Amino acid sequence: MSLSITPEPRDRMNKRLPVPFSTQLPEVIRSNYGRWIDRKFHGNGIIEHVSETGDKVFTVKVGLPSNSRVSVDTLEKFIEIADKYGLGVVRATRGMNIEFITDSLDKALKIKEEVEKLGFPVGGWGTSLWHITSCTAYLTCTTAVVDAPSITQVLYNNLKPYFTGEEKLPAKLMVFVAGCTNVCGGTLAGDIVIVGHYGQAPKPDPERIKFCLPSSTEALKKAVPDVAAVCPVGAIKVFGKPDGSVGIEVDERKCIACGRCKNVCDYFDWDPTKIGVAIFVGGKTSNTGTGPRLPYKVIPWLPVNPPEYREIVAAVKKIIDVWRREAQPGERLGDYIDRISIDEFMSKVGVPRTRHNRCEEASWNFGVRQFITYM
Amino acid sequence: MGTETAQTISDLERGMKMLEYLEKGPWPSYVTELKKTKYPLEPYAEGLARKYTPWLSGSFRVRYVFSGILARRSRDGKFVEIHFRTYAPAGRFYSTSYLRKVVEVAKRYGIGLMEFGGNTGALVLNMIAEKADEAVDAIRTIMGSDVGGSGDTFREFYACPGPALCEFALYDTLHAMDYIRSHPAFYRYLNTQMFPYKIKFKFSGCPMDCATANSRADFALIGTWVGAPEIDQGLFRKMVEEGKINPKEIVNSCPSKAITWNEEKKELNIDGSKCLKAMNCIRKAFPAIRPGKNRKIALLVGAHVQGHFGPKLARAVALLDSVEEVVPFATELINKYMDLAPRRHRIGDMIIRRGFKVISEVADKTLPNKPKGTPSSHLRISIGTNLTDDERKMYENWAKQVMSEYFGGGSGSR
Repeated sequence: MSLSITPEPRDRMNKRLPVPFSTQLPEVIRSNYGRWIDRKFHGNGIIEHVSETGDKVFTVKVGLPSNSRVSVDTLEKFIEIADKYGLGVVRATRGMNIEFITDSLDKALKIKEEVEKLGFPVGGWGTSLWHITSCTAYLTCTTAVVDAPSITQVLYNNLKPYFTGEEKLPAKLMVFVAGCTNVCGGTLAGDIVIVGHYGQAPKPDPERIKFCLPSSTEALKKAVPDVAAVCPVGAIKVFGKPDGSVGIEVDERKCIACGRCKNVCDYFDWDPTKIGVAIFVGGKTSNTGTGPRLPYKVIPWLPVNPPEYREIVAAVKKIIDVWRREAQPGERLGDYIDRISIDEFMSKVGVPRTRHNRCEEASWNFGVRQFITYM
Repeated sequence: MGTETAQTISDLERGMKMLEYLEKGPWPSYVTELKKTKYPLEPYAEGLARKYTPWLSGSFRVRYVFSGILARRSRDGKFVEIHFRTYAPAGRFYSTSYLRKVVEVAKRYGIGLMEFGGNTGALVLNMIAEKADEAVDAIRTIMGSDVGGSGDTFREFYACPGPALCEFALYDTLHAMDYIRSHPAFYRYLNTQMFPYKIKFKFSGCPMDCATANSRADFALIGTWVGAPEIDQGLFRKMVEEGKINPKEIVNSCPSKAITWNEEKKELNIDGSKCLKAMNCIRKAFPAIRPGKNRKIALLVGAHVQGHFGPKLARAVALLDSVEEVVPFATELINKYMDLAPRRHRIGDMIIRRGFKVISEVADKTLPNKPKGTPSSHLRISIGTNLTDDERKMYENWAKQVMSEYFGGGSGSR
C-alpha cells in the first residue's frame, strides 16, 4: 500500500477517531460482553473469566520492558503468538504491560511458554507486584530530572520474583517511577512512588534564559511572563533592568523545587550532584480498605547513582520487607500504615525525619465515599 | 567509577557502559529493545552518565496538526527525536490486524520503536522527522486512528476494560469513552490548544478504579451503586461449606463494619446505609456477593498531579444515571475553566483558587435533580524538596546504611 500526502491536508483538522473498540474484540468477548460472572486464577499470570453462557476466556499478563518500550521486531513476535495461540487480540494494561487473550487453559499455558522463551515474564496478578510503571524521562523528555526507565529496569531486575509469584506479598503492590515532579509515570497515589526532583532551587542559564523572557521592560507592564507566573510560591521575580532588558531572579529560600518553571522554560540549570528521588509510600486510588488516598512522603531525598541505583533499590526493598514481615494477609501498604500509624512505620523503616517528611496523619474520605449520604 | 577514571573516559563511553549493564538482568531490557531500532542511543547514554536530560523542546510543525506531535532536539544539536501520540481504541484492546498496521507505519515512517502502553492512554510511535507529514496521513488512512492528545487540549481518554473482560463493571466504560470522545461538544477541541492546561477524562467501571480516575482525571466517571451489595444466601452458604470463604474474615474485612454473620441461620447481612462500597466482601465472595442493582455513575472532578498547587484527589459532584448526563455539565464547566483559570492551572487549581462553589454552581444548573456529594479536601503536599546540604548528607548516610544491609559491606566502594 503506497501513500502520498492527502490531496487536502486541511482534512487533518478533523481528527479521525480510532476504529470502534468493538471491531477490535474477538467474537467470544463480543457475545459475552457484560455477561461475565466469575473468575479463577491459574497461578499469578493467568485469569480465567467465566460467562453466564458458560463461555470461558483466559487472559495471560506478560511483563514488558520499562516504559513499555518495544521494537516492531518484538511486537511482530507477539502478533504471531497472539494469532497462533490466542484469539488475535492483545491489550495494553494500565501498568504498561501486555495481556494476551485466549480460549483455553492449554493455549494460555502455551502462550506463557512462548513468551518466556522470548524472555518475557508472566505474572502480576493477585498478591504480587502488578507493575512498575515508568515515564520516558531521558529517552524523550525535556523536563526529566532523573532517568526513570533505567531505575525501573533495575527495580524490575531486583523485584522480579514478586511479579512472577515465586515470592509472596501480603497484597497487591503497584510501583510507579517518575523522572520529575510532574509524575507522568502513572499516578502519585500508588503504593510506592519514586519521583525524581531537583532537591535545590533552579538557576537560570545566564546565556539563554532570555529566550523565556520578554525582550523589553515594556512587556512586563502588560503581563507577568509565564516563567514567573507559574511559580506557586512566588519565588521567581522578573524585573526591568536599567538598560531596558529583563532580568530574572530565583529566591532559593522560598523555592520548593516543584519544577513548574522548568515546564515552561528549558533554560534553567541545576547541579547534577544535588538531584535525587523522593519515595512516597501508601497511596492508592482504589476504594478498598481505607479508600483512595495520597501517599506519605517517607523518604524526601536519595542520591541517584546510575546504572545500579543501589540506594533506591535498597530503600524500596526495605519498605517492602517491613510490609511483608508485618502486614496481615490482604492488607495493602496504605492500609497497613493506617493500622500501625505512620510514625510507627517510619521508625521501622528507620529513615531520619526532618521538616520534609513530617507526614501528618490525615483522615481519608475520598473517591465514591464522598457520596456517603446517598449511599 | 571513581572521579579519576571519569576524567579519562568520556561521558559517552561511561554512558554506553551503563547501557551494557542495563541489558543484563532477569527482566527483559528496554535497552535491548532500543538497540533493535534506529533510536539515537548516544545522547541517551551521555545524558545518563551526566545525570542530565539530553533533550530540549524542538520546534516542529505538520500542517493542520495542532496536537499529538512532540519534537525534541538534543542539547548539542546533533540529534532530532520526534514522536506521535496516537488515539487508541477504548480499553486499549488491539486486534492483531490493527497491530500489523501499526507495525507497518512504525517501520515505514518511524524508527521501529514505540511505547506500547503510554501513560496517558495513547500508543506512542517514534517517527522520522522527514517523513512526519506522510506519517500523519498513514496513521489516518492505514491504521485508522489519528495523532492527538498533547498540549492544552483533551489528553487521550482512558477507560478500564469494563464489561469486555471484567465481572465487576457497573457501567459500560468502553462505550462511555467512545461516546464522550466522539461527542461534538468535546470532539471540536481535539485539534486545538484552547484550554488553560490539559483536561483528562477517565472511566472506571467500579469503585476499585483501575483507570486511576480518582487521582489523575479532571473528569472522573466511576461506576458505583446505591444501598447494600446483593447476597445470594444459598450460594454463600454453599461456598462456606466448601471452605472457599470464611464468613468471619468477610465480616472483619469490612472497613465500616456493615456486615454481620448470623451463625444460627447461616445468614449474612449487610447494612446498606453503612456500606462504603469498598468491595472487600465482593472480591472475597464473588459471585455470592455482588454489587447492588441500583447502579449509578459517580462524577468527580479536579484530580491531577501536574498543576499549580500540586497533587489533588478528585472531588465529588453528583451521582448520575447515564453517561449522557455528563455532557451539559462538562461543557459548561469547560467554558468556565477557559474563562476563569490562568494559564497552567488545572480544574483542581481553579477549585482551590475560587472554592468549590465554582463547581457546585455549574452542577446545580446542569444536574439539578441529581444527588450531590460532599466533597472532601486534603492538605497541599509538595513533591519536590529543596534541601540543605546537611539534610542531604543525613539521607545519604541513611541510604549507605540500608545499602550495606542489602548489598553487603561494600557500600562506600562506589
